[in-house]
Parts: sequence; C-alpha cells; structure tokens
Amino acid sequence: MKQTTLGLGLLAATAAMAAPSYADKLDDIIASGTLRCAVVLDFPPMGMRDDSNNPIGFDVDYCNDLAAALGVTAEIVETPFPERIPALMSGRVDVGVASTSDTLERAKTVGMSIPYYAFENAVVANEGVEMATWEDMKGKTVGATAGTYEAIWLEKQITEWGEGTFRPYQTQADVFLALSQGQLDATVSTVEVANANVASGNFPGIKIVDKAPMVPDYVSLFTLREEYGLINYLNLFVNQQVRTGRYAELYEKWIGEGEPADLTIPGVYR
Amino acid sequence: MFDTALTAADFAFLARGAGMTIVVTLISVIAGTILGIVFGVFRYQVGPIWAAPLTFVLDVFRSIPLLIQLVLANAFLGTILRLNMSGFTVACIILSLYTAAFCAEIVRGGIEAVPMTTRRAARSLGMTWGQDMRSIVLPLATRVALPSWIGLALGVMKDSALVYIVQVTELLKSTQILITRLQEPLLLLMICGAFYFVISFPLARFGGYLEKRWSND
Repeated sequence: MKQTTLGLGLLAATAAMAAPSYADKLDDIIASGTLRCAVVLDFPPMGMRDDSNNPIGFDVDYCNDLAAALGVTAEIVETPFPERIPALMSGRVDVGVASTSDTLERAKTVGMSIPYYAFENAVVANEGVEMATWEDMKGKTVGATAGTYEAIWLEKQITEWGEGTFRPYQTQADVFLALSQGQLDATVSTVEVANANVASGNFPGIKIVDKAPMVPDYVSLFTLREEYGLINYLNLFVNQQVRTGRYAELYEKWIGEGEPADLTIPGVYR
Repeated sequence: MFDTALTAADFAFLARGAGMTIVVTLISVIAGTILGIVFGVFRYQVGPIWAAPLTFVLDVFRSIPLLIQLVLANAFLGTILRLNMSGFTVACIILSLYTAAFCAEIVRGGIEAVPMTTRRAARSLGMTWGQDMRSIVLPLATRVALPSWIGLALGVMKDSALVYIVQVTELLKSTQILITRLQEPLLLLMICGAFYFVISFPLARFGGYLEKRWSND
C-alpha cells in the first residue's frame, strides 16, 4: 500500500515536471514575427549606415535574408564589437550576424554556425610592377603595418625566399601611400580594405593582383549554444545562401568583383 | 572649421532623436511624479515600520545605476516573462519608477517641512485630513519641494540618454550614430549639447519663475 502511494506520487511528480511543453528559440522567433539580429554598424562594408542613417551592408542583408527565410521581419540591433555576445546573453537579440570569428573560446559561451563569410587577404601592387600571382612578390620591396598578422606573414615569406626587402609602416594609410608613390612594389591587406582603397581613388596607381595564401578569418552566425534547433537552421541557411548564389551576389554588391572566399576547409569535416 | 558633411536630413535625424528624448522624459516625469506623490504620502502617513517594504523597494531603485536597471528589466520582461514589450515601453516603465523613487523622498521631505503646529491648528478648526492635506500641506509643501523637483526633472531628462541600451534611439544615440558615420565628433557633440540646453533651459527658467512668484506673498 505504502509503496503504491509512493509509486503514484513519483509518477505524478514526473508528470508534473515533464508537463510544461518547451518551445525552442526557433519557434519563439517564428511566433513573435520578428528576428532580432546583432549587427556591428561601424565595420564597413559588413555593417554601416547610409546617408539617411539606415543600416546597410553585407551583414544587414544577410540578416534580412535570414528573416525572409523564416517568414518574419528583421530587426537590426546595433551592437559594438564587445557587446555582441552580452546582447545575446541578456536576451536583446536572437542571433548574431556580426562578422564574428568562430574561435573555440567564444564557442564555450555561444553556439556557432558553420562559417558564412571569410576574410581573405589580397596582394596589392603598384601598377608599374609586373605581377601576376602572389609568388611574384619574390625579390620585390614589400611592406605592411608593423606588428599585424599580414606583416608577420610577409616578413616570414621574405626570409624564406632569401631575397627582397620588407619595410614596416606605422599605419595602413602610410602603406598604401608608399605603394601609390612607388616606394613599395607590393603589400598584403584584407580583400575588403584593398577593394575599398582601390575604389576610393585616394591611392592612384595601385591594383589588386591575387589572393594571398594565408589562412582566412572565418566568421560565423551565433546564437545561444543550447538552441540546437536554431543552430541547425542557421547551418542549412548558410548552405542555401551559397547554393543559390546569393552569397556571391552579396559579395559582389558589398565587397567587389572577384570570387568570394571558399567556405570549406579541405581535408576536414564540417 | 565649418566644412562639414552634416546634411539637413542628418539634422532632422538629430531633431527626431531630441523628440524621442522629450517624449520619454515627459512620460517618465509625469508618471513618476504621480507615483512619487502617492508613495511619499503613504510613507509619511503609515510611519517608518509599515512603510519599510516600500522604502526598501524605493531604495533599490534609487541606489542601482539606471543602466543596470534597464538591462536587467529588459532581460527579465523579455526573456523570463516573455512579454513582447517594445524597448520604448521598458524604458518608460523603468525611468518612471526611477523618478518615482526620488520623487517620493522629495514629497516626504516637503510634507515634513510643514510645521506640525500649523496642521494641528487646521485640524482643530474642524478640517478633515483631506482638507488639511489639500489646503494647508499642499501649498506649503510644494514651495519647499519645487526646487528639488525641478532638479529631478532635469536630471531625468539627462539620464534618459541611457535608454539607448534598450534600442530607443534618443538624442545621444542619434548623435553617436552620426559620429560613427561622419567622423566629426566635436561638431556633433556641440550640436547635441545645444539640443539638450534648448530642452532643459525653459524648464529651469520656469522653475525659477515659480519660485520667485511664490516666495513674495
């Protein structure tokens, strides 16, 4: 008798605990009709504002595409770089579409999708110098902003080749000025900076030669790490963006001509 | 010096931000003052022991920085209670309670400043508690409390700059957006400061005028 009561009690307790049906974030977003994206708006061309102060850029379009896929309206929540993850954790946004590098450190806090974009590096040269591929930098005078990833890589290449000169500069503007004036034959910078500097016309006589074979900076969408339903959706969404050609379209719209970065890594899954 | 990329549209954008600051401030000061009067009278009337729970809540609102209150309230209302509130609503609720917490103290101080003998005299003339409050305490306490209340209203107007954290684009946030785009911080901050001055100066002068007028008779 006593055991039956205890058993019934346990059964009731289990039922009571299991009872509240759990709607996950994906359901919540669809039900609320709004997708709130964390976007960094002082990071052109990924996020910035137009002349009437409306958010524009690659990430803004990407968020709008995601919202359209979910059948909801997008709300762009401006977050500075250090605020991206806190904004998610305090419930101010649903997902981050904020050019966030998929570091293992961040993955301890938030759930990362597969990469949706990768920042590559380009070789930029003076128009007067004969160059076709990145390897033509061998024996040339090259330079970059001292201490940066690009500078370290360039210096290493020069030492490896055993010929050519490396010159460090204080700022990126100095590097491009030197390149434009012919003091440098070539430099390496991110594709986005290279395209913007060529397009701006502030540095006449420079051209983009080739992509540099450096490991790109892969960036991912992110959301709460326990929201597997949403993370699955994000992964498929990134895949669809590439498959449908929207990725290339957005690349051409915001970054410029050329082949967008390959989002797969040879020799490994995911 | 005056070579600027600021356009008329950007100026209108700033003005819209200023409008948002005024709306948030008006709602919060009006709601906060009404609540503050209720809380202040209640605290004075029931005595320190019975009012202790209310005093505690008001102290919490007075002592925690507004920025933290806004973030926590937004997270609590949005993520835990799952109320689909706009940032504007959250901002108004929190700023009103914040104003009410300070206003309650001002009201209590004002009532305490009315001499007990005057109030006893009123009651011995046969006035009810309500009549005493309306005709004796209200006019005398208002004079005492007005300067602090004006100070509070101006303070809330400037504190409203913090509501940007719940996605309300008010004056300071609009300025920051323009600074990011145009890279002209000094000019934009000067314009922003001028806007704040234009909003608060009339209120400050109105307070000064009332003080002068009421002190002569």
